[in-house]
Amino acid sequence: MNQMTDADNSFIQEALPAFISEAQEQIESLEQLLLQLEDAPSDIELLNALFRCAHTVKGSAGIFGLDRVVAFTHHVETLLDKLREGQLDLTPDLSTLLLQCNDQLRTLIGQARDADTAETPEAGAERAALVERLQAAAGHAEAQELEAGLAPATAPAHAPVLAITGSARCWHVSVAFGTETFRNGMDPLALLNYVRGLGSVPNLVCDIAGVPPLDQLDPESCHLAFELGVETDASRAEIEGAFSFVRDDCVLHVLEPGATPEDYARLIEAMPDNPRLGDILVACGAITRAQLQQGLRTQSAAVAAGTTQQPLGEILQATSGVSPQVVHAALNKQTKAKQRDAAPATAATTGDDSRFIRVQADRLDAVINLLGELVIAGAGAALLARQTRQGALIEANGQISRLIEEVRNGTLQLRMVPIGETFSRFRRVVRDTAAELGKDVLLEIQGGETELDKSMVERIADPLMHLVRNALDHGLETPAQRQADGKAGQGRLVLSAGHESGSILIRISDDGRGIQRDKVLQRAWERGLVEPGVTPADADIDRLIFEPGFSTAEKVTNLSGRGVGMDVVRRNIEALRGTVALTSEPGAGSRIEIRLPLTLAIIDGFLVGVGASKFIFPLESVVEVIEARSSISTPDAQGRSVVELRGRVLPVLSMRTLYGLATDEPERISVVVIKSGSHSYGVMVDVLLGQHQTVIKPLGRMFRSLRGMSGSSILGSGEVALILDVNSLGELAAGKQSVPAQSPDAANGGHKTFVRN
Amino acid sequence: MAKRSKTSAAPPAAAPIATPLALPAELTIYTVGELHPQWLAWLGQGAAALPAEVPAEVQAAAVEQVDAAGLQLLLSLQRALLDGGRSLQIQAPSAVLRGGCEALGLGAWLQAQMSEGAQA
Repeated sequence: MNQMTDADNSFIQEALPAFISEAQEQIESLEQLLLQLEDAPSDIELLNALFRCAHTVKGSAGIFGLDRVVAFTHHVETLLDKLREGQLDLTPDLSTLLLQCNDQLRTLIGQARDADTAETPEAGAERAALVERLQAAAGHAEAQELEAGLAPATAPAHAPVLAITGSARCWHVSVAFGTETFRNGMDPLALLNYVRGLGSVPNLVCDIAGVPPLDQLDPESCHLAFELGVETDASRAEIEGAFSFVRDDCVLHVLEPGATPEDYARLIEAMPDNPRLGDILVACGAITRAQLQQGLRTQSAAVAAGTTQQPLGEILQATSGVSPQVVHAALNKQTKAKQRDAAPATAATTGDDSRFIRVQADRLDAVINLLGELVIAGAGAALLARQTRQGALIEANGQISRLIEEVRNGTLQLRMVPIGETFSRFRRVVRDTAAELGKDVLLEIQGGETELDKSMVERIADPLMHLVRNALDHGLETPAQRQADGKAGQGRLVLSAGHESGSILIRISDDGRGIQRDKVLQRAWERGLVEPGVTPADADIDRLIFEPGFSTAEKVTNLSGRGVGMDVVRRNIEALRGTVALTSEPGAGSRIEIRLPLTLAIIDGFLVGVGASKFIFPLESVVEVIEARSSISTPDAQGRSVVELRGRVLPVLSMRTLYGLATDEPERISVVVIKSGSHSYGVMVDVLLGQHQTVIKPLGRMFRSLRGMSGSSILGSGEVALILDVNSLGELAAGKQSVPAQSPDAANGGHKTFVRN
Repeated sequence: MAKRSKTSAAPPAAAPIATPLALPAELTIYTVGELHPQWLAWLGQGAAALPAEVPAEVQAAAVEQVDAAGLQLLLSLQRALLDGGRSLQIQAPSAVLRGGCEALGLGAWLQAQMSEGAQA
């Protein structure tokens, strides 16, 4: 569009990131739809949705002048249209092709950021090859159609409708302007003049049938529609671009030069509110009446196959072999038309879109940062208010604190996204990887609706991907191996997510062969991770796979045996303040559990004091608080002791001893009972300071080595409190007792410390 | 285009439809809001006064500015007349009006409205 002004350019520059992220979402859904279609190849709803996705990508790419995307998507669309019309069945091969095309599209969209860079010849060739395959597949559809007995009607019609003289190509544009066009400051007259600037408009017909008589007219509503031919060398994108400013509020169809009568027939069908469209098309010279009638006959033949009495439908199928899809498609169209008649309010379907607002992530982050400051300042104000001992002021402050808390929850909620999106991305990975390895794997997803902080979801995707690949590569066996072991040929891989005591638990389990401990041990001996000859406990062997540079695959595949091992996964997860644990049963499968904190920013904390120091527990992990009695044993050097709680032995940690806090022990000590995973333990503290909204600040580099800490927070008084990491603290409290196999007197491990002291 | 409508030469309230409707200089989105009730009144008052064979006459010489909204109003007027079994006759369309109709694919329509008059 050479007439584009600087303003247009800057608008496009500004809007491009939004387009890219939107297109990426469309591509994601394309992939999901394709994978769903593999299970239900003739689901017309899915096919329609698929087509819409591709069409949306193409349409918006056109606005931004991304010609490569438009041109490529057009070919994909053609094939999808054939599928949708039931002229072609979705075979696994076709599905793979479409998935590859989707990958190509993703690459193209990724390149859109710097559209000016020329692409490499290899990339161009790769795309050309895909286009060729697409065309071959679509051509196959036409062949099928011929066989299907529609041949007499359609075969001659595939010739271009108009023999265009000269080099310029004649497009047909059909545009019905929306009622808001005038009010939005757009003038169809000016738009049409702009279109004339693209080339020439040899024929133009204004469809005035939609204009109501004067007494029913709202003079500022637009009721105009146009059919026009445009002779131009411009691309589809440029033609559609002319209408970009009214795009949301108009019905636009652009038919390629050489459109077939079927295309026009489809156009007529697409505009059911306009019974005279056929005449208008003839009037504007887009098509001759004979051609039009031929096209419509072809259409109505298909429709008739679906709507007339059953016998005829059967006869049609039996004698001329009209594929069931064609009949189905026609039927579907019929029911849809009826639904439309019954409920003319189609706004409801489009209403969904307007319920979402796209917000830049950093804006949201800025708000959350401010909120963090507000929480701290609010706590400070509440503290001062309490010191004044003025009831009204304290009450007012309490009200403010409650509101801050609500705002906090609401704002953090904004960042929450369901993890299901990330999970479903693995469908493709599982499909492709399993195929590559010659394995048959069923992926099951549970708890996809579990919500997680967006940044967390982004950062957990890679570790998850690695674990999934690992399960496919090492865990699950080939069908032959499985059957030899007496298992079902199809392996099962389950991805699940859920909440558990204030954290998110993500579980990846498979029913494969489990960890092959002898191989792991062998490798560990070779690598010197374990003293040769020494055999640690099973759980410890399992844990070895998280050691740096560990890989047991007999042959290094290009999937998971790349040396970037499970240690990277563990480090990534730990960087998110999460933990990863593995359980495995030889022959029956393994289960990896990842625990992640709900959010990275603000938590509900439980503030306690030990001497002059303040500590914060995540509130969700606090089960109860008990008063320490004389039953508490004297802590050992690591601050460990035990207490009896309702007849059970509870390990207890003394913060004073653990962190060497040099203060005197007060007379009364409380024990905060913490639940971490499936374990419980107590922590001895001096004072309980109650619930506290905690803005998490990272620990300084110096304190990274400190065990049991996950972060710090600033209190209202300006003091710094340390946030305790309940999981690692739990390990400290339990000491080695949590691995019974390692200690011969495991049964009374709890008492061991007690005895030792 | 902030200027609002120039005064349209609306006929006096009591005039029968036999009085030709004179189109204003500006026939655009900025004036259609005002013109609409005036034209309706013109239609209503004279509709019964004349036999159906006599076309309703519109003087179009003064038109200096048109857009799609303005032309749509004219189309709507014709539609209203047509529904009542009457016809519209556009007298002496200005070059601007002709050009506007041409640009909007209404060249043939305008010709038809002019020949209505010729036949009458």
